[in-house]
Amino acid sequence: MRPAASPLNTDDFLPLEQSAAAERISRPSLSYWQDAWRRLRMNPRAITSLYIVMAMILFTLLGPYIWQVDPATQVLDEISRPPTLGRETLLVEDFKRWDGVQVEIAAPTQRASEQLDAPTSLAFVGIQSTDAVRISWQPVAGATGYAVYRHELKPSGVNDLGLPLGEVEGAGRVSYEDRLGLENRRYYYSVVALSGREEADRFATIEIDLPASITLSEAAYRGLINADVDPATLVGTRIRLDAHPLGTDYLGRDILARIIQGARTSLFIGITAPFLYVLFGMVYGGVAGYLGGRTDNLMMRFADFVIALPFLLFMILFKISFGIGPGESGIMPMLIAMILLSWPGTARLVRGQVLQIREEPYIQAARLMGAETRYLIFRHMMPNVMGVLLVSLTFAVPSAIFTEAFLSFIGMGVVPPTPSWGSMCNDGIRTMLSSPHELIAPAAFISVTVLAFNLLGDGLRDALDARMRSK
Amino acid sequence: MSDWVLEVDNLSVEFDTYGGIVNAVRGISYRVAQGQTLAVVGESGCGKSVTVQALMGLIPMPPGRITSGSAKLMGRELIGLSASEINRVRGADIGMIFQDPMTSLNPTMRVGEQIAETLIAHKGVSKSDALQQAVTLLDRTRIPEAAKRARQYPFEFSGGMLQRVMIAMSLACKPALLIADEPTTALDVTIQNQVLELMKEIQREEGMAIVLITHDLGVVARMADDVAVMYAGKVVEAGNVDDIFYRSTHPYTAGLKQAMPSNRRGDHQSLNAIPGSPPDLFAIPPGCAYAPRCPHAMRVCAQLDPAAQSIGGDHYACCWLNDPRVPPQRNAAMEHGE
Amino acid sequence: MLQYIGKRLLSGFLTIWFIATATFIGMHSVPGDPLINDKAVTPEIRKNLEQRYGLDKPVLEQYLIYMRNMAQGDFGISFTQQNRAVNDIIREHFPVSAILGVLAIIFAAAGGIVWGALTATYRDRLPDIIIMFLVVLCISVPSFVFAALGQLSILRLNEWLGISLLPVAGWGTVAHMLVPSMVLGLGTMAFLTRLMRSSMLEVTASDYVRTAHAKGLSPLRIFFRHQLRNAILPVITVLGPAIAGITTGGFVVELVFAIPGLGRYFVQAVQQLDYTVIMGTTVFYGAFLVLMVIVVDIVYGFVDPRIRVEKTH
Repeated sequence: MRPAASPLNTDDFLPLEQSAAAERISRPSLSYWQDAWRRLRMNPRAITSLYIVMAMILFTLLGPYIWQVDPATQVLDEISRPPTLGRETLLVEDFKRWDGVQVEIAAPTQRASEQLDAPTSLAFVGIQSTDAVRISWQPVAGATGYAVYRHELKPSGVNDLGLPLGEVEGAGRVSYEDRLGLENRRYYYSVVALSGREEADRFATIEIDLPASITLSEAAYRGLINADVDPATLVGTRIRLDAHPLGTDYLGRDILARIIQGARTSLFIGITAPFLYVLFGMVYGGVAGYLGGRTDNLMMRFADFVIALPFLLFMILFKISFGIGPGESGIMPMLIAMILLSWPGTARLVRGQVLQIREEPYIQAARLMGAETRYLIFRHMMPNVMGVLLVSLTFAVPSAIFTEAFLSFIGMGVVPPTPSWGSMCNDGIRTMLSSPHELIAPAAFISVTVLAFNLLGDGLRDALDARMRSK
Repeated sequence: MSDWVLEVDNLSVEFDTYGGIVNAVRGISYRVAQGQTLAVVGESGCGKSVTVQALMGLIPMPPGRITSGSAKLMGRELIGLSASEINRVRGADIGMIFQDPMTSLNPTMRVGEQIAETLIAHKGVSKSDALQQAVTLLDRTRIPEAAKRARQYPFEFSGGMLQRVMIAMSLACKPALLIADEPTTALDVTIQNQVLELMKEIQREEGMAIVLITHDLGVVARMADDVAVMYAGKVVEAGNVDDIFYRSTHPYTAGLKQAMPSNRRGDHQSLNAIPGSPPDLFAIPPGCAYAPRCPHAMRVCAQLDPAAQSIGGDHYACCWLNDPRVPPQRNAAMEHGE
Repeated sequence: MLQYIGKRLLSGFLTIWFIATATFIGMHSVPGDPLINDKAVTPEIRKNLEQRYGLDKPVLEQYLIYMRNMAQGDFGISFTQQNRAVNDIIREHFPVSAILGVLAIIFAAAGGIVWGALTATYRDRLPDIIIMFLVVLCISVPSFVFAALGQLSILRLNEWLGISLLPVAGWGTVAHMLVPSMVLGLGTMAFLTRLMRSSMLEVTASDYVRTAHAKGLSPLRIFFRHQLRNAILPVITVLGPAIAGITTGGFVVELVFAIPGLGRYFVQAVQQLDYTVIMGTTVFYGAFLVLMVIVVDIVYGFVDPRIRVEKTH
C-alpha cells in the first residue's frame, strides 16, 4: 500500500477497470474424494499406518517366497530357542560305543575311605560334545570303585559335588561316559574314590564349557553339510545351524515361517470376512432404507434377530455343524460363521445413512430434475454412504482379527497345525515365563496390524468427516 | 468520556490458522451511550461477532490475538484484563444473548437454575433467593406460568420463548450493556417482533445500552438509534439510523439497502444481490476491501484504503467518493443510487 | 419414566426368551446326538438323561420341556460332570465373574471419564498426545496379551520387592482381584476414553458452553455442570454394550489368572462339548446382559432429562 503521504493526482480518481476478479474463486475446486485424500495425506499417523498395512499385505503375499522355511518342520533339538541368526555348532562323529579305560591293577587292596586320595590326572578323552562327555583318571590306591558327579557350579566341598552321575565298580575302571541331558553350558565333573560304599573325603574336579554339537548324520539329514565332501574330514569343524530370526516354538518349528503362514490365515479371515459382510450389509441396508415402509421394517426385524443371537455360541455351533474333516484347516467355517453373524451391524448403519440421505433436499432436487432411481442410487446416495462404509470397514478388520485370535486362543478357531496368530498366542502363553519370545512374536504382529488399521480408520474418518457430519 | 457505556477504539483481532494469519477485525471503532441501541450491520464473516467476542474475552487466545485497540466499559478498559477479572465483568456488567436459543442453553439443566446461576455467581445470592428472582425475571419477559416454567428444561420450550429466557438470563444481574448477536435470525418473523419489542421495553425500563448485531436491515430500522456498517473487518459507514437509511454515501450501504426485497405492490423486480463475495481474509488486497465489488470503484480505491471522512455530525464513511477530488459525474451517479 | 422402564423390561423379557429359543434351536441343529459322543455314559445314566430331557421325544416336546425347566430356573445337569447341576455351577462360579466384571467396569468407566476429560481439556498438548497414544495401543493389543503381561509384571514386582505383594493367580482376597480386573477393564477403558474425549470436545464447542462463559461463571462450574455433565451422556449409553465386551474378555482373564469364574467353565464346556452347561451358561449370560443393559438404560433415563420428562407439547 502506498503511504498516505504520497500525493494523489486526478488520474487516480478515474474509474477502475474491474476484471471478473470479483467472482473468481481463489482456490481450485476439489471433488469430495480428492479433498478427503488430500486431508488423509496430511495426517502423518494415517499415512504411516497405510504404509504399515500395505507392508503387512506384502509380507503376507511375498513372505513364503523370501523366507523359504517350512513352517511345519519340527526339529526336536531346537525346541523353544530364542531368536538366533544361526548358532555355531561343532560337527562331531556319530556316536560310537566307547569301551572306556581299563587299567590292570596288579594287587588290588582296599583301604578305609579316610585314607583314600583324590584321583589324579583327571582329564577329558577325545572330543567332548553334547552328545557325550568322556573322562578318565589314574587309579587311586586302595579304592574299590569311584563315584562321578556333575555340577553346574563350582563344587565347594566334598558335600557339594552336584548331581551324582553314577558309580564305577572296580579299582581298574577309571573312566566314565556321561550322556545325561547334556546342554551347551559349563559343567564341573568331580570324581571321588570309593571304599566299598563309603566315599573318600578328597576329590578331583575338572571343568568344561561344553559346545553345542551336532552329529554328522543329523547334520546330513538336516541338509547342513555339503554332500560332496567326505564327512570324515568335517569332524571337528564348526558349522552354522539354521537361522531363526524369531526363534522356534515348543515343537521346534521356525516361528518366522509360522508367522508368515499365520498371517495368511489371520489376514485372510481378517480382511475377507469384513469385506464380504460389509458388502452384504451395504446391499441389504441400502435396499431396506431405500424401500422403506413395511419391507424396511421386516428386513430390519430379521437383522435385529441375527444381532440378538449370542455370538460366541453360534460361532462355535456353526463350526461344529460344518464339521472339520481331518487335514482341513477350519478357516472356511470360521469365515462363513463370521460373515453370517456380523452383517447386521453394517446393514443398520447403511440403512440409517440411506434414510437420512433420502430426506436431504438435494435428492428431492435431483428427482425434480427427472433423475431415475438407479441414477439417484449410484450417483447420489452411494458416494455419500461410501464414506461411512469405508470407515466402518477399516474398523471391522481389527475386530475380525481379534475375534479370530480370540477363538483360536480358546481352541475354537482354526485347527492345529494350521497356524494363526491367535493360536500361536495360545501356544505362547504356556511358555510365557521361560521363553517369552514365543508369545511376543505373534502378539506383536497382531498388535501392530490392528494398531495400523485402527489408526488408518481414525485418519479416514477425520478425512471424510467434515462433509459427513450434516450440520 | 465515561458518558459512553461502551467505547471501542481501533480494535484489531488476528487469528493464526493453518493457512496463515486471518485479519478478522481491522481497526474497529464504535460507541454506545446509555439507553441507546447501536446496530452493527454486515454480511457473514465481516467480523461483527468477533469484535464483541474479543471485548468479552471469549476468543481463545492461542489462535486469536488482539493486536491493537481498546474497549472501555463505563470508562474501564476491558482488553488485557486477567481471566478472573473479565469473568467478573461478564454476566454482571455485560449481558449477552446469542443467535440460536435452542442450542445456547444447557439441555440437562432446568431453565430457572440457569438463570439463577448468574445471580449466584455474581451477586452472592442464596440458591433459593436466586431461584425466586429467576421466576420474577421470567415473568418480566412475559413467559406465562413462570413458576412452573422455571422448573422445566430447554427442550420443553419453543424458540421464541427460549429467546425470552435468554434475555431474562442475560439481564439477571442488571448489566449496563446488553450485546445481542443476531437474536432474531433463528426465529419466525412474527416471533421476531415480539422479542424485539420485549428488548425495547426492558431497555426503556432499565436504561441499559444495547449492541445489536444483525444482517437484517428491517431489525435495524425497528431497533437502532445508531448504526455501524461493517465490511471485511472494518466499519465502512456509521451514523444515526436516519443518516444511514436516508443519507448514506457508501456504496456498500447502498447495496445492502437495495438488496432488501420490497413488498410494494407493483414492484416486479428481480432480487438485487451484490455481485461477488466478501474478500478472502487471508489475502486482503491493498486498498478498499469493497473495491472489487463496487460499481463506482476508482483507481485509487484499489491502491489506498480510504480513511474515515465526516459527512455531517456523527455521520462518517470510509469511501473515496467523498473525497473532494472526485469528478462531479461520479457523485451524481452515486446519488441516483446506481 | 415409568413407561420407559416398562417398555425396557418387556423388550428385555422378549430378548431373553428369544436367546433361549435360539440357543435351543442352535444346539439341536448340530448333527449328532450329544449322548453318542460321550462314551462314558452308562445305560442307566443314559436312560435317566433321556427321561429328563425327553431326548427320545419329538423336538417340539423337548422344547417345551426345556422352556418349562428354564422358567423354573432349572438348567439341568452337566453332561461331563454327572453329579453337578448346571445351576450349582452357575451359582458357585458366576459371583466370581460378576465381581471381576463389576470391578473392571468401574475401573474402565472411572478411568475413561477421567482420561477423556483430561485429553479434551489439554487438547493437542502433551497429556493429550501421551494418553491417546496409550489408548490406541490398548485398543490394539489383544486382551490375552495384557493378561499375560499383567501376570508377568506381578512376578517381577514381587521379585523386585522381595515379598509376595500380589498373588500371581487364584482368587479369594482383594489382592487377587486388583490386577485381573484392571487387565480386564483396560480395553474398555481405552474405548471409553476415546468416546469421552470426542464427546467432551463436542460439548466444549457447543453453544451452551459459550453461553456459560458469557455469563461469567467460574471455570470449575462450567467444567463440571456444563461440560462434564453433558459429555457423560454418550458414555453412559455405551456402558450397556460395553459390559458385554467385558464378559467375553472375562474368559481369557479367568484362564490366565486361574480364577474360578463362570467364563473358564464355559470355555471348558465348549471344548468338551458339554451341552447342558453350554446352553445354560449362554442363556444365563444372555439374561444377565439384557438385565445390565436395562439397568444402564434406566440410569441413563435419570441422567438425561430429555428421556425422563414427558414432552408436554
